[in-house]
Amino acid sequence: MFIIRMAARETRASWRRLLFFFICIAVGVAAIVAMRSVIQTVRQVFGTEARSLIAADVLISTNRDWTPEARSTIERRLQEFGATEQTETVETPTMVRPADDTREVARMSELRAVDKAFPLYGTLTLQGGQTYAHAMLRDRGVLVRPELLTALGVAVGDQITIGKAAFTIRGVITDEPGRRIGDFSLGPRVLIDTADLPATGLLTFGSRARHVLSVRVPDPQIDPLVQTLRSDFKEEFVNARSYRSSDDEVGRDFDRAENYLSMVGLIIVILGGIAVSSVTRVFVLQKMHSIAVLKCTGATSGQIMAIYMLQVMVLGLAGSILGVGLARLAIASIPYFVDTTSTSLLSDIHYGITLSAAAQGIGIGVLVSLLFSVVPLLRVRAVKPSLLLRDESAAPAGIDWTRIAALLLVTAGLVAVTAWQAASLKVGLIVCAGFGVLAIVLMLAGRLLVRAVSPLASTPSFPLRHAVLHLSRPGNQTRVILLAVGLGAFFIVGVRGLQSSLLQEFSTEMTADAPDMFLMDVQRGQVDGVRAFLSEPSRGAGAFRLIPVLRARITGVAGRDTQLETFEDVRARGSLAREYTVTYRDRLEANETISAGRLWQGSATDPEVSIEESIHDRFAINLGDTVRFDILGRKIEARVTSIRRVDWKDSRNGGFMFVFRPGVLDNAPQMFISPLKGPDGPDARARFQHDLVAQFPNVSVIDFHEILATIQDVMSKVTLAISVVGGLVLFSGALILIGAVAMTKFQRVYEAAVFKTLGANTRTIARMLLFEYGVLGLLAGTVGSLGAVALTWGVSRYALDIPWRLFWMEHVGGIVATAVLVAAIGVLSSLDVLRNKPLLTLRAE
Amino acid sequence: MIELRAVSKTVTSGTEPLTILHPLTTTIARGQFVAIVGPSGSGKSTLLGLLAGLDAPTSGSVVIDGIDITALGEDALAKLRGEKIGFVFQFFHLIPSLTAHENVAVPMEIMGAPNPAARARSLLQEVGLTDRAHHYPSQLSGGEQQRVALARALANDPPIVLADEPTGNLDTKNGRHIMDLLRSIHLARNTTLILVTHDQELAAMADRRISLLDGRVV
Repeated sequence: MFIIRMAARETRASWRRLLFFFICIAVGVAAIVAMRSVIQTVRQVFGTEARSLIAADVLISTNRDWTPEARSTIERRLQEFGATEQTETVETPTMVRPADDTREVARMSELRAVDKAFPLYGTLTLQGGQTYAHAMLRDRGVLVRPELLTALGVAVGDQITIGKAAFTIRGVITDEPGRRIGDFSLGPRVLIDTADLPATGLLTFGSRARHVLSVRVPDPQIDPLVQTLRSDFKEEFVNARSYRSSDDEVGRDFDRAENYLSMVGLIIVILGGIAVSSVTRVFVLQKMHSIAVLKCTGATSGQIMAIYMLQVMVLGLAGSILGVGLARLAIASIPYFVDTTSTSLLSDIHYGITLSAAAQGIGIGVLVSLLFSVVPLLRVRAVKPSLLLRDESAAPAGIDWTRIAALLLVTAGLVAVTAWQAASLKVGLIVCAGFGVLAIVLMLAGRLLVRAVSPLASTPSFPLRHAVLHLSRPGNQTRVILLAVGLGAFFIVGVRGLQSSLLQEFSTEMTADAPDMFLMDVQRGQVDGVRAFLSEPSRGAGAFRLIPVLRARITGVAGRDTQLETFEDVRARGSLAREYTVTYRDRLEANETISAGRLWQGSATDPEVSIEESIHDRFAINLGDTVRFDILGRKIEARVTSIRRVDWKDSRNGGFMFVFRPGVLDNAPQMFISPLKGPDGPDARARFQHDLVAQFPNVSVIDFHEILATIQDVMSKVTLAISVVGGLVLFSGALILIGAVAMTKFQRVYEAAVFKTLGANTRTIARMLLFEYGVLGLLAGTVGSLGAVALTWGVSRYALDIPWRLFWMEHVGGIVATAVLVAAIGVLSSLDVLRNKPLLTLRAE
Repeated sequence: MIELRAVSKTVTSGTEPLTILHPLTTTIARGQFVAIVGPSGSGKSTLLGLLAGLDAPTSGSVVIDGIDITALGEDALAKLRGEKIGFVFQFFHLIPSLTAHENVAVPMEIMGAPNPAARARSLLQEVGLTDRAHHYPSQLSGGEQQRVALARALANDPPIVLADEPTGNLDTKNGRHIMDLLRSIHLARNTTLILVTHDQELAAMADRRISLLDGRVV
């Protein structure tokens, strides 16, 4: 009873001082609740619509033509498992242009040919309230996405040419079942009737068409059917999956996203926790006399700690509830940011706070406040009541085991909270260890800095001397500010560095003479024609090369370190099982060097292959090993005779994982690709593509200028999202900074008063503060920037697979900005220190 | 009754041990008014701290009403202080975040005494501060703060009141007022009053004087 009453009175008196603590917790909790809620809501929508997302119970697909054997196996199994309905679609990227030859444009699109049964689930929605019926496609009808209309400058009713055939646009697609949000696409969707597909002439040999069989089967048969098909096609390139597995996949992605994002929220909460810890520490220091009085009047240490603990809990709870409120506001504002005219699923969702997210947020807020305040509160025990008779600071006697035990418990608690939030003990440990390492680095850096600047303590400049002395005075906030601000700087500078790095990565590929267009699917018979077309000066194309390519899969490896017997074994190695594009030649490209072995000379009938370094690194395939390839049905066992390093920065001229020795593949069925320098100017480029496609309808053109625009658009959105998160972290850092300054103000006010009495003017004191915080900010910025260098290096190398670059401007700018920010906040929040009349202050003491 | 049995206090100052109080044996009877006098640094406050169990002696023991308080743990000591000892300090030491009334009520609340609010009111009345009950310490003058501190010292009706230079921080008029209150309380309740002061005039009012110089009784 006494404890509750005292806690209530204390809160009444000191809530203003603990306001910062409260806001830090609120911001972190808001981040967690908002992110979790949005993701949970989106996920629910996905969950309920999983079937219409893949528009089937079971999908069976292949990137090659169906072999008659495969088809008959599938038919047999479908009957066996009682499939009730099926529809077959063919998808391929291709060029589309207006049939009116005076309009000189062409656009890469994703063609999908469907039959009458499409779609099995979900509905295809069209603009203007039209209802989709297969009849709309019959007799060379086509439905297109609105982007294509704008790109080609055509309208409903106009004709467009796909391959060799002309189609009439009969409607505009707004939403299509079987298409996932965020799927990578080469261009807008174009939907035609399967019956018209042969007329386009696109299904020639080697086309990149994907054949998909969508099936409806009774629910209990779904999994057995998928299992059986998988074992039937163990050694073939046919995939089978159910809507459930796709649901699982999506679910796992969402889990990961949810947990990852809430980690960011948790980091903010932990930053808040650090603030809690420092605030509590100073709070106890300021309350020493009151604690001594309470002890004098009979209160035990336990009772007093309970009073403050209760207070922390109440404030933590209130902060968390405020956080939930903030999250609610943030979520309510989402519709203003999501483009509601777009037809993506995201705009149809009704956003709100989910109960579980709110509960988690509040739980974490309270838990973190408690965990971080326990250790500083233990100081209550050390306060001696005799303090009231004589101002003495008791020297701590020996090792405080209770404190150590508490520290261990708190650490365990933090790991538990983190693991809970990340839904993985491992991640929890890693994040906590990361935090610990970062904290230790920041602390060591802090100590080093204080030592590094300590010679300045003998400088003749009075304000500088005292600023330096302040950094190491007892009860200083150097460590806390370093940690909070350093982390904020780390995030923001790191993200900006990565962003610049990525942008540069794409722009280096855009230098004047580098190829900026890419032809695909050139047939062997078309090589001479295409060469003639490209060489014609009036076309405006620059340098070009025609490179033969074949599509290959690895079906086995016999080597020293790696032994993979079957394709199934290869599949277990992840990306090794993907389809590789390979070529053959007997010389290196300018961007290649041999790192082991020797490159062959001339051709030979014995298969030899040169592998890229990353294949060697990732899959432990060595010189002398034999790799078994399936190249369009043909089995080739090639010996690895060299390992190449490819400079991916300059990969337009060929970045092949596997290069074969000429001789074996020369007469195999193959296609050609051509990197080239396209004409200048958008009109000329459009005309060029149009004319090329008019002459060679099956050839696809990728225009890097267009892709770059798309990438920049996506990047700017991603950057914005990360910057918002980094901004939140920095905001918390700034709050902690303000809080820390405010908490130690009582010391400063007194000192300033004494200095003033001794003759220092306001300007001297202002300069003193400026120096103190400037140096502190400089250090925090330096440490954060150094961390960011490490971050960009790691992410560039391991996550993005791009060469690492150092952006001096970003890092130096980050340091300067941090220093200025910290100095400004430090001086501004001490303004009243400057303004106070010394006599008043000294009297009050 | 308070008995001091060869109580001494030695602290280590730097590397040198420094004896603040040499072994002292004496008995203070119930209801006695004792003044501890001496110049600054003579060990007055140390002696007071030892009497109240605020500090542990280096050797010897302090026995209050038959209980050896030097053998007690921190929590038991706190309880004993709450029940038996009231304190008045030179610098008042009110809790700044609590009102006058709340400051007075705190010791009773800690002990779980019945109806602390009513008793706090009557104590404030006793020291003449009824109209200032809901003011915070920062809104009170020095004399008023010391009267609140006095009311707080009496909260649990302790048999012993310890006062450390209670008038040291006050002007003459306020100092006299506090002294009068202390004496009337001492007489009315028959409390043992132990007063630390270097004011000879105050010391003259006491039943008995203990004069200290460099940690020794003179």
